[in-house]
Amino acid sequence: MSTTETDGGGSYGGSPFEQMDPETARHPQPSYKLMRDLMPVTRMDGIGVLLARRAEVDEAFRQPELFSSAMDAVALQNVRPLIPLQIDPPEHKKFRKILDPLFAPKQVKPLEEPVAALVNELIDGFGDATEVDFSKQFSTPFPSQVFLTLLGLPLDDLPVFLAMKDGIIRPDHVVGKPRDDKETVAYQRGIAQSIYDYFDRVLDEREVERRDDLLSRFLDTEVEGERLTRHDILDICFLFLIAGLDTVSASLDCFFGYLAEHPEQRRQLVEDPSIIPAVVEELLRWETPVIGVARVATADTELAGCPIHKGDHVMAILGSANTDEAEFDDADVVRFDREANRHLAFGGGVHRCLGSHLARLELRVALREWHARIPDYRIQPGAELDYTPGIRSLDTFPMVLGVSQ
Amino acid sequence: VRVRVDLDTCQGHGRCYDLAPDVFGADDEGYAQLLVTGDVPAELEQQARAAEANCPERAIVLD
Repeated sequence: MSTTETDGGGSYGGSPFEQMDPETARHPQPSYKLMRDLMPVTRMDGIGVLLARRAEVDEAFRQPELFSSAMDAVALQNVRPLIPLQIDPPEHKKFRKILDPLFAPKQVKPLEEPVAALVNELIDGFGDATEVDFSKQFSTPFPSQVFLTLLGLPLDDLPVFLAMKDGIIRPDHVVGKPRDDKETVAYQRGIAQSIYDYFDRVLDEREVERRDDLLSRFLDTEVEGERLTRHDILDICFLFLIAGLDTVSASLDCFFGYLAEHPEQRRQLVEDPSIIPAVVEELLRWETPVIGVARVATADTELAGCPIHKGDHVMAILGSANTDEAEFDDADVVRFDREANRHLAFGGGVHRCLGSHLARLELRVALREWHARIPDYRIQPGAELDYTPGIRSLDTFPMVLGVSQ
Repeated sequence: VRVRVDLDTCQGHGRCYDLAPDVFGADDEGYAQLLVTGDVPAELEQQARAAEANCPERAIVLD
């Protein structure tokens, strides 16, 4: 899960990133630098105001009332605001009070063993193959399986889940037409309804019989003496689906893409797995799998002298903030021994990614278990990785195992 | 050296109690809790500095 609660924020529903060429999507850092140097706060027609520097991103995150995360910031065909991402303070606090404890480190820690088992089962599934598709066989199924486990849903539902996730996040890939095409929008709308219907059915079952899972817990949670309504729970589940799956897949794609191409740095973590938490933080910073998150201005204001009008969309470019030389020493160098790393890969301010502790656990365990068994791998010679702009995930990642570069 | 955490600024990223587990703990919601009162013992100073240098919200202050 990511950047701000979804970590998805606005990168999903149509964004400047869709126009990125494949090379920029692969290595966006030089483009970020150009933006910071030439147009740190800039208005782009039809998109809104882009924030490329850490300073202005911080300013926006610290004023959630002025830079709202409410519904018009993203368009995913959801019929009500996603909870808690699209709820502004003060109401937002109420939902975080319920959800934060469920995703606190204390709660996610016991998942370490089952998560490690899932990683190992996926690797077992490679059999004797020396060539695999990392995306299709590992990074895509892994977070979805963790999610199904967490919600108490049958693992057999994986294909249903993946279809809902892809249909809502990248309907254009599924339909094969542009994002704003009538057919694409109609398809995405249908998928959105199927997500509500799916969780509505499961919640009916849990109403009858509680289990030891998150959905059952939602049914019994009270805040200020009030239960969550069925709509509330559906709006939370909808967000989980789009926030909790793709973002971890994207992080794994970015991390393994980087490590495949940097065998010396990969060797460092193979030889000393104790550095893995630092590797995760540095690659979150450098790769920033969720490029940006969207906000909407609720009043006229300005940032770094650039006028912002009420209703303007404002896009915080997290990837650029995370490579800003004003914040980081050696900002353009990937260093696993970095002492100060205040990256914003999970967003910042009140909408900090709710699932960040779970995401960190998944990423650390995946790196640890994978490299203990498969220390050497590379991108299949001749293959180019094509990252989806926005959330930097891969539809396909042909990988050769057991061969060093 | 003394350490403070501004709980209005803390957003529960959890970097402090991850990097400085003897100086910071987590409450049930995952937000920071200070475990030391007064001066940070010399042997924990490095932990406190790491927490300060990695807090995305700059909610930790050493003085």
